[in-house]
Order: sequence, then C-alpha cells, then structure tokens
Amino acid sequence: MAEPRHADEPSGHGYERLAPLFAELAACGDDEPRRQDLRHRLVEAHLPIAQHIARRFVRRGEPLADLEQVATVGLINAVDRYEPDRGVDFLSFAVPTITGEVRRYFRDHGWAMRVPRRLKELHVTLGAAVSELSQVLGRAPTARELAAHLDLPFEDVVEGLGASNAYRSRSLDSMIDEETGSQLAAGALGQLDGELEQLENREALSPLLAELPERERAIIILRFFGNLTQTQIAERIGISQMHVSRLLSQTLAVLREKLNAG
Amino acid sequence: MEHVHKKQGSDGLRTALRPPTRHQLELRVDADPFWMSALRALITDVAIRADFDLDSVADLTLAVDEACAALIGAAAPQDTLVCRFAVAADRITVTVTLPIGWRTERRSLPTDTFGWRVIRTLTDDVELMDGRGSLGIRLVKLRTAAAGG
Repeated sequence: MAEPRHADEPSGHGYERLAPLFAELAACGDDEPRRQDLRHRLVEAHLPIAQHIARRFVRRGEPLADLEQVATVGLINAVDRYEPDRGVDFLSFAVPTITGEVRRYFRDHGWAMRVPRRLKELHVTLGAAVSELSQVLGRAPTARELAAHLDLPFEDVVEGLGASNAYRSRSLDSMIDEETGSQLAAGALGQLDGELEQLENREALSPLLAELPERERAIIILRFFGNLTQTQIAERIGISQMHVSRLLSQTLAVLREKLNAG
Repeated sequence: MEHVHKKQGSDGLRTALRPPTRHQLELRVDADPFWMSALRALITDVAIRADFDLDSVADLTLAVDEACAALIGAAAPQDTLVCRFAVAADRITVTVTLPIGWRTERRSLPTDTFGWRVIRTLTDDVELMDGRGSLGIRLVKLRTAAAGG
C-alpha cells in the first residue's frame, strides 16, 4: 500500500516491442483470419496491465476476479479501438480506457437493488446536502430542512432517504473513502475495558469486537462506548453519516447473530 | 436532472405534512425475523416524516431493530409481536410487546447485555416491561432541540 502506486506498472518494460503488432492489426482486413490471432496476442500480452488496474480497485469491496474480468473487457475495447497512426502509444490510450471500464462497473453495478437513475442522483444530492447542513447546524438535518435547503418537495426527500436505506451503496461510499479509522479504534479501545466490565456477555463480546474490521470496530466503540452521534463519527472518520448508519446497522446485525449463536 | 420539477404544489404539501401533534399506529406481526426489515422501514419512514433529524432517525431505527430482535429471540414459534408507534410533538414512543399471558412461566430479558446497552445508548428512555402476561420494551426518542421545530 505504501509503495509507490506505479511501482509495478509495466510502462516502458518491453511493451513497445508490441507496437508493430498494432500496426499489423490496423492493416488487417476485418475478416482476415490473422486478425483474431493478432488481437488475442495483444490482449494476452497486455493482461498484466488490466490486472494491475483491477487490483487498484480491490479494496472497494468487489471480488478481484470480477474486477479483473471487467478490466479485461476494458483492455479488449482498448485493443479494438486503438489507432496506432494517431501517434499516441498504446499504454497512454489503454490505461484510461480500462480504468474507465472499471469505474463504470462500480457506477452501474454497485447498487444492490435496481434503483431508478433519478433516485441515484437524488441520493448523491442528498448525501452532499446532509454533509453541508450538518456543518452549518452542528447536528444532522431533518428531512424538512433538506427539502428547504435543496428547494425540493418534501415527498421527494422522503423518497430519496428511503431509497438510501433500501440499497447498500458500497460502491459510492467506497469511492469516497479509503480505509480510515484504525487509529481511532486503537485510541477508543483504551477506554473500553472499564465499560465492558459492566456487561454480562463481555467474554463473548470482546473477541467479536476484536475480529471486526478496524473501521467497523471504531464506529461501534465510538457510538456505544464513546457516545458520539453518527454525524460526529462521520466527521471523525471522514465518511458520510448515511454510510456510518449503514455500517452500524450491518455490524450490529453481525454481532447479534454471533452473540446469539455463542 | 429530472427530479428538479420542484415547487409545484409543494408548499401546500409541506403544510399538509407538518409533523402531527399526536398519531398512533399499532401493528401485529408474527414474532419472526422475517418481519424485521418491514418494521425497520416503517419506523424509519415514521421518524423521517415526523421530521426528526437524521441521526435520531437512524438511532431509533437501530434501537427498534435491536428491541424487536431481542423479543423475537425470546418468543415461541406461534407468538405475535405487537408494535405501537406513537408520535407526539416532542417524542416518538415505540412499544414492542410479546403477549405471553397464556403461558405459565414468567419471562424476562437480561439488561446487562451489549444489546441492551445498544438500545439504551440509542434512545432517551427505555423500559423493560416484564410484568404478568407480557414481555415488552418501551423506548422513547426525543426530538433534538431545534430540529424540526
């Protein structure tokens, strides 16, 4: 993670030698049998680039295999659309094409439920307005305050907020934040021991808390042992209040299930 | 963006949808986890419409979720869960009960657990009702000062 992002990016590592193949491909007629062969060779030779780009997105919660597949589709598109006589080298053309394909995948597939585009846009608008108003008010806004601020009908806001609860927008959320919260969790853990003492099921709870992802653990501790509001937690961790809300709800469900099972 | 068809009649709507001074809803469902997402959606909608701030809305939803889960966990297969949502100007009160009157054994819920702490943290007042004939949880969420005034 700490290593420079481009450390293993293979630019200038022998990909230039493939340039003549692109010229050959461009010169190929559409139905020449050699065309498919050239295309396959070029895609295969550049696969490490697609895999590299896919890996850069892996922390956003999609399986690596899916991401690699999407990135490969992007690579095939890049090979098909590349025009060598424009004087741009293939990598300069392919990297944004592949990255664009992966981003589009997140945008289109991140919504667990089919939500109309209008609601998706409304969700983004609402998310921004919630942050803005929280800053101004020093607390989370109400639906009516959001409606007034955005000059939207109250019903639209209610609908939009309902939609935000209906799906898990892991894509959008994770686009915005990268991992944070580990330091917070470490700090908050200190005060936890005394608090846990009071709980009858602490022996069962402690290991469950310990095995949570750091950010989720931080959120649980800050909310239930640090008594911060969701908006305050959102501010500290650098994610949206709506995202904190979803993470809390998911994490509580997980804890409940495991505590009951134990 | 399509949704900017604002203003048409929205002022009238805003007035019509002012938070009610007092409204009640009672709902009976099988004491089965199947109904939890419906109950969650319902209390979220009620709290949003009552114009509670979004932190309070989210807290109340989590609290109701936790309370229902606790009671469903204590329920027998044929039990019914009775949920009452009461909206007043300054508060929403949710009462979830499991009528168990026809059974002889008395039931209760432990209150020194993480789950109970969750409910307590998320609400302004919480009470375990483990009297004769039913087991229930009553929780109160107050409107944040200045929110939706």
